[in-house]
Amino acid sequence: MAKVYRSAVIDASADRVWALVRDFNALPKWHPAIAESAIEGGLPSDQVGCIRRFTLRSDGGLLREQLLALSDLDRTCTYNILISPMPVANYVATLRFTPITAGDKTFAEWWAEFDVTSGPEQATTSDIGDNVFVVGFASINKLVSGK
Amino acid sequence: MTKVFVSAVIDAPIERVWAKVRDFNNLPKWHPKFSRSHIEDGLPSDRIGCIRNFDIAGGGGTIRERLLTLSDIDHTFTYCILTSPLPVAGYVATLKLYPVTVGNQTLGVWTAEFDVTSGKEADVVDAVGNGTFGKAFEVLNERLARPEGAI
Repeated sequence: MAKVYRSAVIDASADRVWALVRDFNALPKWHPAIAESAIEGGLPSDQVGCIRRFTLRSDGGLLREQLLALSDLDRTCTYNILISPMPVANYVATLRFTPITAGDKTFAEWWAEFDVTSGPEQATTSDIGDNVFVVGFASINKLVSGK
Repeated sequence: MTKVFVSAVIDAPIERVWAKVRDFNNLPKWHPKFSRSHIEDGLPSDRIGCIRNFDIAGGGGTIRERLLTLSDIDHTFTYCILTSPLPVAGYVATLKLYPVTVGNQTLGVWTAEFDVTSGKEADVVDAVGNGTFGKAFEVLNERLARPEGAI
């Protein structure tokens, strides 16, 4: 089982950040790697159990992910991967946003556990950590802080 | 029941911050609000259940607190107040550190829950939240932060 953990400071309040990322169908709005997204079966994107179906901007690769938990109280979102082009299995990830009271900023965390099904584990874990999670944080920061 | 939540970024790697705060007997060595501390009965300061006995600087009285949990893996500890000059009851507090991987910094989160037994609740919350927790993070950042431009 591989684990990835990344965290960063976002220069806006946790409520502002959460308003952007809470929508499970909003990846294309804030993650530069994602082209299009839809919730299957026309479900609301905050209905736990709903599935988002989205494509990568780079090569059109398709992913399906299921919302496992959503908490407005803790500002967390947990989901797993059903289908993806990545060499991973049993992938479960969580996003969490914690207020930083000194300066009214946000502590963003994103972590995942999964099995790597082919290729070197390190390559897959750093690809997910740096190119998915950290890139996502930087993009959120740009959108909500205007910097 | 009153809750206090204070969090701040400390510009140092988590291992350095944890090394500073982990010692339950060390508070007065880095927090200017407190002076003198010893662990009662000569126990080690990382023994769960041990009691620290320390003073509020400037003759503010003595506080006794019991260590309830300590985790090197999660960089956190929890303690309760046994006796103190503060008008609080049922006081339990937790300090937890998180790594900020982008920039190799640390987030400190300090929380407490308690009942205020006399006086204005807002004053007690301010003394705990700003005077103790917020001040702690400021001081840790001043002491541990890397000089501008250092890697």
